[in-house]
Amino acid sequence: MPPKNPKAAKAKQKPQEEQREESLQAVVLADSFETRFVPFTLERPRCLLPLANTPLIEYTLEFLAHAGVQEVYVYCGSHAEQLEDYINASKWTSKSSPFRTLKVLKSTATSVGEAMRSLDQLDVITGDFLLVSGDVVSNMNLEPALLKHRARREKSKDAIMTMVLREAGVGHRTKSKGSRPVFVIDPAAERCLHYEEMGGRRGGSRYVTLDPELLTSHGEIEVRDDLIDCHIDICALDVLAQWSDNFDFQSLRKSFLRGVLKDYETYGKTVHTYIVTDQYAARVKSLRAYDAVSKDILGRWAYPLCPDSNLVPGQSYYFGRGKVYQENNVSLGRAAVVKRSVIGSGTSVGDGGMINRSTVGRRCRIGKNVTIEGAYIWDDVTVEDGSIIRQAIIANGTSIGKHCPIEPGALISFRAQIPENTKVSAESKIIRDRETGYSNDRKADDSDASSVASSRLIYRNPSASSSVSSISTLTSSDADLKSDRDASRRSSYRSDPSDDARENQDFHLEATGSILDGLQKSDPADTIMLELNGYRMSTNASQHEVRKAVVAAFMKRISNLIARDNTAGAAPLTLREAVKAVLTEYKSLVERTTFDSEAEEKVDQVDFLLLVQKEAMGRPNGDQLLLFMANEAYDLDVIEEDGVLQWWEDERSQEGEMGTVRVLSEQFITFLKEAEEDESEDEDDEEDDD
Amino acid sequence: MPSPTGVLAPSLTTFTRSVRSKGVSVESSIDNLVSLFKRRQIRDSRPCAVATAQLLRRVVETSKVTDISKLIERVRQIGQRLISAQPRELSIGNIVRRVLGVIREEVEEDREGETSGYSDAGTDSRPQTPKEQDSRTPEPSTLSSRSLTTSPLRHGEMDSILEEVGDERPQRPPLLTSHTSYAVTNTAPTVTSMFSLLSYPRSNIHSPTATPGSQSPSIHLSLSSQALANAGAVKDLKAEVVEGIHEILEELNQADDQIAGYALEHIHSNEVILTHTSSLTVQKFLLKAAAKRKFTVVHAEAYPNHHEATHADVIGRTKSESDDSLSSEVFQKTLTAAGITVVLIPDSAVFALMSRVNKVILDTHVVLVNGDIVAAAGAKALAKAAKLHSTPVVVLSGVYKLSPVYPFDPDALMEDGDPSKVITYEDGDFVDKIEIENPLFDYVPVELVSLYITNLGGHAPSYLHCIINDHYRAEDLDLDISDVYQ
Repeated sequence: MPPKNPKAAKAKQKPQEEQREESLQAVVLADSFETRFVPFTLERPRCLLPLANTPLIEYTLEFLAHAGVQEVYVYCGSHAEQLEDYINASKWTSKSSPFRTLKVLKSTATSVGEAMRSLDQLDVITGDFLLVSGDVVSNMNLEPALLKHRARREKSKDAIMTMVLREAGVGHRTKSKGSRPVFVIDPAAERCLHYEEMGGRRGGSRYVTLDPELLTSHGEIEVRDDLIDCHIDICALDVLAQWSDNFDFQSLRKSFLRGVLKDYETYGKTVHTYIVTDQYAARVKSLRAYDAVSKDILGRWAYPLCPDSNLVPGQSYYFGRGKVYQENNVSLGRAAVVKRSVIGSGTSVGDGGMINRSTVGRRCRIGKNVTIEGAYIWDDVTVEDGSIIRQAIIANGTSIGKHCPIEPGALISFRAQIPENTKVSAESKIIRDRETGYSNDRKADDSDASSVASSRLIYRNPSASSSVSSISTLTSSDADLKSDRDASRRSSYRSDPSDDARENQDFHLEATGSILDGLQKSDPADTIMLELNGYRMSTNASQHEVRKAVVAAFMKRISNLIARDNTAGAAPLTLREAVKAVLTEYKSLVERTTFDSEAEEKVDQVDFLLLVQKEAMGRPNGDQLLLFMANEAYDLDVIEEDGVLQWWEDERSQEGEMGTVRVLSEQFITFLKEAEEDESEDEDDEEDDD
Repeated sequence: MPSPTGVLAPSLTTFTRSVRSKGVSVESSIDNLVSLFKRRQIRDSRPCAVATAQLLRRVVETSKVTDISKLIERVRQIGQRLISAQPRELSIGNIVRRVLGVIREEVEEDREGETSGYSDAGTDSRPQTPKEQDSRTPEPSTLSSRSLTTSPLRHGEMDSILEEVGDERPQRPPLLTSHTSYAVTNTAPTVTSMFSLLSYPRSNIHSPTATPGSQSPSIHLSLSSQALANAGAVKDLKAEVVEGIHEILEELNQADDQIAGYALEHIHSNEVILTHTSSLTVQKFLLKAAAKRKFTVVHAEAYPNHHEATHADVIGRTKSESDDSLSSEVFQKTLTAAGITVVLIPDSAVFALMSRVNKVILDTHVVLVNGDIVAAAGAKALAKAAKLHSTPVVVLSGVYKLSPVYPFDPDALMEDGDPSKVITYEDGDFVDKIEIENPLFDYVPVELVSLYITNLGGHAPSYLHCIINDHYRAEDLDLDISDVYQ
């Protein structure tokens, strides 16, 4: 094919010439570093979850293509391979892709901050770029925003970022109900002066604190909480530098934006806003938003991002009567009523079916007399006769038996099987039983898994989209970040940083550090506690986090003790002795972070033991460590018998690696159980058992 | 308007640029256009038609096909992809059919030239081919577009035939009586067409059954083998096809002006003209008439999708961006500047004012084969009101908007737009609790239309199928039927 080569060369030269003039780069944060889509994100990255039967990332990339972006860098964290495979197979990497380059960057970053810093090091961004998350749905025309941004940059190099915000009235369904972002804006300069997140379940304040200087130095300011923050930012190169300079920045808004705004006095960097009033922009950041954005798309608010635009090759939707988007090859039974829904190809609906305001994926089999309302059913789902599904999300490959009522808010994850006549109660999460299927070593999440635990994420619930940390950390742990997790486990610092909500990490690191410091200097427990309490108050951390920090510090101290003794040649401390030494001296630390010695349910104590177990999991001799810790804590009356037993019963402590690490402790438990039977000998036997 | 540093959002302009540049492969141009259509970054009849024609020109230019039937197949396939990208935009399919027609025509001509001596030349096709050749003889090499000149030509031809036959035009409104004579006297080539008429009396039998459908496959086969035999001929053919597409493009550019050329026949002094939505075609039409006559225009604003553009039209701001690259007259003189009284009314006032209106002039999106039109939402209410008051409704439409598709399911031709034009998205209660619809088009049945004015002149509704037969080949008609109604 000799004639092709010169052509190709020419083609290459040309874009480069053009590139200098007009090339727009975009960075897509495909990983949200959040866990709001558990349990679905256990198996699939969020941006590949289908929204109206089209993967989320397609909407984002469409938006970028719409805006005329030429180079796209997709930054993915968890499930990077899946995402990469998907993108490589998609139209975006084909020759005719509107993007000149589309690169998938894999990383082990556990926060937006880390991702941005590593991006800075990669040195691929050459000018102004768009920073969007991988779940943006928008039909917005970015040109005016870009022009404004450029004009500002011409005037002042300090205008480093323009945030694109969508105006939405009070009580809008697409806005998050949990923590509401509040922007303080100088409307004349379109400058963001202050940012705060209000409400939220955990600790978010109900007040916005304004620097009085803002009032004096600006003629006019607006305090707005009616904006949908869809995380579309037009950034200058300086933004990356800012991220790098401030290595403690973790999240896009809470730390970065606030940080930059706070440092305005010192550095003079300004952040601007562009408020859109007439086009669609939203972010699928929680299940609630998932519901709202789906409705918006079906209602054609995001036109032309509608199913019948068939944006993904191979789709064949058309918009027909009854506001139904239907693909070819759908068979509807007699008297089946379908309204305001999306139905993928190869799906059959039995007689008397009723589908309303729902999404049904491809190749689904819906039996007779099934009612589906406001539900999201993905591909390859079988629903047998007579089931009723309302406002639930049912993932790929699930089969639901006959006459199952599925109540609002249920989340049924991939390939789960619901037997006949099973009632799935409201707001429960169901994933497939691990024994029967989860062959991959990516062990099912420790906790939330099979447990039909209450899902606070439910979109019906106004608090749903609040903050991640409202869920027990164990639950929230490695959903989105599974792949990162192993990496971090190997790292020297043992305190699983992916564990928590981002904003609490600072606390965790700091607190663990300070406790450890105290332990090493053998400060009295009271002093450490005082320090810890002060710190806790100031950052508004929960007791759980405090406990976590304590446990992490203990563990670290214990391993230090063993290691030091090995090298220093002092009297070698066995693991057991080390545990004993630490716990005896500082048992008050534990006592003062657990508050349920009076209560029937020893929630705090269970939590403490779970944390110990979790920490132990990744360490050498973890099983021994756990045994000694539990035993010692029991001996010292830090943890009561009920607490230990409840911990043992707790589902969270049984799964996966958690289960293996506690095997050794079983004897201790059996002993306890026996002891319970004849309580009189309790004290003596305990010694023997060790 | 686009700033030098600005990155252009993809549009017809960027597509035009990229399709011309040699660096972009044809395949990627096709995909590019498909996604532009899908994203509705190119929309409305004319931009879509222009983009399609440009793409197909490039396809033909770069094709290395020696076998013409393969080229036809390729164009057809590309056409199908383009159509399914925006199935409701029938002008895409129209252009694809036109291009296919051009290719077939050239092929037949070629074949006729070569095989003129043979006796097996296909007796069926004979009546047509001489006419084709003959109609071209008057101006063999001038660059002036054939489709432009031939069309009026044929039209005149047809008209005169019709006059002879007489019974085929029972519905022609009285308004038109002068039209035929106009066409005959005003266009010089008509004379030649009269000749051709006399010399080939059978050529007027355009009955759909007699012509191409039956003979084409055999022509193909025999032809492709012949075409293979001499590649040189194929090359010529290619050049001619490209030329033909070029002429289609030219026609697209001139359609509005040509339609405007008929303005003076239809707009008389002191008339009150009602029109609807913002349209370059109507604007030019009225302006042309305004040059000579004084009349009043009542302009319905077409809320919610086009009212801004309509206001801009009335006040005289620049045209909306969708038209920018197409016409040099981006800056239109307003009607008021031409001394016309313009009354802007909301759509709801249409009925109240209808009794005073002499004529309704509508732009359209598509004209279907039976005369039904798909026009901007609100047109049907307007046409109905006009019907009640017996006000004539005149539809302005370039020939490229004439589609051979029969509307079996009119609903499938409607497109629903973004409801935020009706209710702003900020209004959370509305968004959550109310279903809002914003249809972009209205379906106006043929009974409500009195006259169609295309770039070929004025036609009664019953006459449209003749124009369609003239412009599209029967073998191309079912090109996309399956796609349109899916």
